[in-house]
Amino acid sequence: MKKKILWPILVVFVLLIAGCSNESGGESESEGSGDPEENSDSKRLVIANGTDIVSFDIHDHNNTSTEAVHVNMFNYLVRNDAEEGFVSDLAENWENIDENTWTFTLEEGVTFHNGEELTAEDVKYTLERVANDDTLLEYGSYQQIEEVEILNDYEFNIHTHESEPALLNRLSRLGSGILPKDYIESEGWDVFLEEPVGSGPYKLKEWRKDDQLVLEPFEDYFGEEPKWEEVVFRTIPEDSTRVSEVLTGGADIAVNIPPTDIERIEQEDGVSIVTSPSQRVMLFALRTQGDYPTADPKVREAIDLAIDKEAIVDSLLEGYGTPTRTRVTPGNVGANEDLYDTQVYDPEKAKELLAEAGYENGVNITLSAPNGRYLKDKESVELMQAMLEEVGITAELEMLEWSAFSTRYSDKDFEDVFFIAYGNSMFDASLALQRLTKEQAAGETDYDNPETEQLLQDAMSNMDPEERVEQYQKAQEIIAEDRPQIYLYQIDSIYGVNDRVDFTPKLSEMLYVDEITLK
Amino acid sequence: MKYFAQSLLKTIPVLFLITLIVFILVRVTGDPVSLMISETATDEERKALRESLGYNDPIYIQYFDYMGDLVKGDFGDSHRYETDALNLVIERLPATIELAIASMVIAIIMSVPLGILSAIKRNSFLDLFVTGGAVLGKAMPNFWLGIMLILFLAVNIEVFPVSGRGTFLHLVLPSIALGTGIAAEMTRLIRSSMLEILGQDFIRTARSKGLREAMVVNRHAFRNALIPVVTIMALQTSTLIGGTLITETVFAWPGIGQLLIQAVNLRDMAVVQAAVFIIAIFVILSNLTADLVYRLLDPRIKYD
Amino acid sequence: MENLTESMDAVPERKESLIKKMVYQLFKSKTGTIGLVIVIFVSLVAVFAPALAMHDPAETDAVNRLLPPFWLDGGSTEYLLGTDNLGRDVLSRIIYGSRVSLLVGISAVLLAGLIGIIFGLIAGYYGKTWDFIIMRTVDSFLAIPNILFMLIILAVLGPSLVTLILVLGGTTWVVYARMVRSETLSVKERDYVRSARAIGAKNFRIIVKYVLPNVISSFIVIATLNVASTIILEASLSFLGLGIQPPDVSWGLMLSDGREYIATSWWVATFPGLAITLTVLGVIFLGDWLRDVLDPKIKD
Repeated sequence: MKKKILWPILVVFVLLIAGCSNESGGESESEGSGDPEENSDSKRLVIANGTDIVSFDIHDHNNTSTEAVHVNMFNYLVRNDAEEGFVSDLAENWENIDENTWTFTLEEGVTFHNGEELTAEDVKYTLERVANDDTLLEYGSYQQIEEVEILNDYEFNIHTHESEPALLNRLSRLGSGILPKDYIESEGWDVFLEEPVGSGPYKLKEWRKDDQLVLEPFEDYFGEEPKWEEVVFRTIPEDSTRVSEVLTGGADIAVNIPPTDIERIEQEDGVSIVTSPSQRVMLFALRTQGDYPTADPKVREAIDLAIDKEAIVDSLLEGYGTPTRTRVTPGNVGANEDLYDTQVYDPEKAKELLAEAGYENGVNITLSAPNGRYLKDKESVELMQAMLEEVGITAELEMLEWSAFSTRYSDKDFEDVFFIAYGNSMFDASLALQRLTKEQAAGETDYDNPETEQLLQDAMSNMDPEERVEQYQKAQEIIAEDRPQIYLYQIDSIYGVNDRVDFTPKLSEMLYVDEITLK
Repeated sequence: MKYFAQSLLKTIPVLFLITLIVFILVRVTGDPVSLMISETATDEERKALRESLGYNDPIYIQYFDYMGDLVKGDFGDSHRYETDALNLVIERLPATIELAIASMVIAIIMSVPLGILSAIKRNSFLDLFVTGGAVLGKAMPNFWLGIMLILFLAVNIEVFPVSGRGTFLHLVLPSIALGTGIAAEMTRLIRSSMLEILGQDFIRTARSKGLREAMVVNRHAFRNALIPVVTIMALQTSTLIGGTLITETVFAWPGIGQLLIQAVNLRDMAVVQAAVFIIAIFVILSNLTADLVYRLLDPRIKYD
Repeated sequence: MENLTESMDAVPERKESLIKKMVYQLFKSKTGTIGLVIVIFVSLVAVFAPALAMHDPAETDAVNRLLPPFWLDGGSTEYLLGTDNLGRDVLSRIIYGSRVSLLVGISAVLLAGLIGIIFGLIAGYYGKTWDFIIMRTVDSFLAIPNILFMLIILAVLGPSLVTLILVLGGTTWVVYARMVRSETLSVKERDYVRSARAIGAKNFRIIVKYVLPNVISSFIVIATLNVASTIILEASLSFLGLGIQPPDVSWGLMLSDGREYIATSWWVATFPGLAITLTVLGVIFLGDWLRDVLDPKIKD
């Protein structure tokens, strides 16, 4: 009788496997068609995010997905539109009157959610807060502002410390929302963080942390009337759960869909995949000086030539990415499009270069990378390790959990090569390349090429836009050959979207809900 | 009662040790600043932030500051939410307790009948199925079970909502995912404790007096078998709370588990400290209660 | 599973008869036999992994990504259980994964046991202040859920094979300390120990000669069962991103990574899942049987 013990277990095994394989068959026509249809006219929009917003302190979060929610509650002075360039938001018009001064005129009759009017006082309060308080995470991107000078209720000048060609880029990104001065000063920050007040089309109804953030329309919005009766941002950290929510109609839009689930979503009726390029570029940073093998430019070039970026994009990202040789991708000021959507891949030449560098018998390097931080980071690095091995570069992997990685990163404590992704919320080459200036590269890549340095320094304060772009493009060409950083590929944002809504993702990953419409 | 008072007294050094352990865990190593700041920040920005958070003081000064605040019930502010850490934790407590209780209920519903039946019908097919199932239940990590439940019961057949907290239906899948492991443990335990009691003299006597089997099982065996079960239930509190870390992540359940994972990842130390402390108190209290109940149920027990 | 009343009578008195009884008990208990066979099988696989695996577990093959097992359409006998998202052979990875999973499971338990036995003996034997300090420390560890402890430590130290073992061992020792302490307390009061003390035997000698042998059998039982829970705990830590880091491979890591493919390529996660289940099953069966034979007093 005790022999029987095994077979109930066997039954469960079989059920488990049978259940799974059935799932993989993809015969899903009959399933999952209930929910998405039922509420197709509902004016309640549900968006599933991977993480909750960090805070309502717009200057102290440094987090793209948080800003993606904030943009519905706060307005910038100007918006940076991928197609049209800078367009008005709160500012009706603006002008650069001298090297260090910009003048702005505000829209009249803009009110905050609490009914108070938005004036130049609020702009001064907001911008000077982040420009002067060095404990705020956004301080670094706004400290260039010296003062906001109020001319009257609707007009003001922004003075910068030095000439600042990218000022408008700085004012149309993370943390650029305008805050209500009187409300914050009378109620205090604590109250503001609980009951934030902005001027945007939606106001906060409820925020249950790590659960959901609910917005409701603001009737007195100065722009177009809000379209949704309720907008819910849900927080669902686990990828497969987020996919399941959009499949069952529990969410209208789910962000960060893993590439592996794309097919599954497209096979299901009533939901589709929508993608957009993003600002995120994956790259290697390499030591260019000292006792590291990578100090030899030939080794750095060999590493670049050994990696087939196209293959990584095609296999791991299911094609949703673009090989690039620069971090300043199209859509950014100063982009060098010649270096985009292209790769150098030549394993034979890589071997020759290694031989020339004196590494006929192979070379060992340490490759550090975060695990679980970026889309398919671990798999990508494992694949690249195999590619490097092909040409005779033995990369010892050092996979680090994010907090450990970021500690090492800030201590500039990596060995030969590390793998990281950078975004660029400024849409300007200055932010993308500043890490390669001599000052900032010290201790990390130790990159030091006087020509690049000169170009970067000149461009940083060059008020002639065309010449500035040329300087940045030239710098990118040199960097692509010097390889203090080897750019690998840009990754796409992938969204699962219910067919009842029309959604066009933005390069900036912002989720302007009023641009999402019912079909 | 005297015993209970003594037990309570004993928890004071325990609580003190816990604060020390937690402090060592979160303060001595790791660098919160690098996690808070952007990848592209400069060294000066880092320094400024470090200074402003008080992380430049010597470690023992930080500890004294921390203990001083703690005595006042002040765990400090969460640097993520910029609000009182203790309040954040308490805000999340109901969601986690709700999940924990529901899981325990599910574990009891599954384990009590199965454990008793398999003991009475020892070595039958049912017994084998139950014991085999219990081992399987133990062998399946609960994130895995959770994902499977979502696939089958929420996506394939849309019976339950996928995730989130709200209606009663939202509670079902996460509590099954969390409760199964505990049910497996309890089933094994109830079975063996029933077996032991069924073999004891007073049951034999009851049987020999001609009492009906159902009566014997009900009246005598089950009640006695229940005593260790109550204790084990309370001792599972710690496992249960530990399990919520994972279950809450899978099901996007807004409780302490998720709060903690994020706090650890972001080195939001004040929150980590407050949460660990609250969880520890919760575990200690439920163990004390179990102890008390155990003594009430079984007055024969003496303590050293 | 085992007939309790029978095994209770089988409390061994002498060593020779113990081994005989064990062998006899083993073949009498079918589940015990099954457990032992599974455990031996898995251990052999781990030891002979390089000879058994058809592929290098880290070898990627971009052309043959996510191939199904050989009996399904598109499968290949080259990759018996299919390939994962990087085209690595699932079977070979499971074979190599057994090494890390067992290594972590067994070493963590041994470490925890060592710490637990030492502190348990000290607390039980010397009593008083030592007992108070150690037992309050045990209580505080018990009040913090294991996984929470590990989450914090691993996030701070960064996960690696060694830290993982240290952390798993360093947080689960309290169970053994408790058990050893109470065993020690009872042994200490026995007549032969009292008389040994009376004639002035050294403490250390008493501990080694009389106390230790009495706690070892309970220890073996609990330790065996804990190997199973450690393997599962490692999987849970992998889910949190704090388990084994590549290029090392463990079953927990495979299961956790494979969860993304569960709806599209089920074999990537299911087979490591089965490996875990089977091993845990074997270990629990073996542990139950050991308990029945060695120490019928312990219930769990």
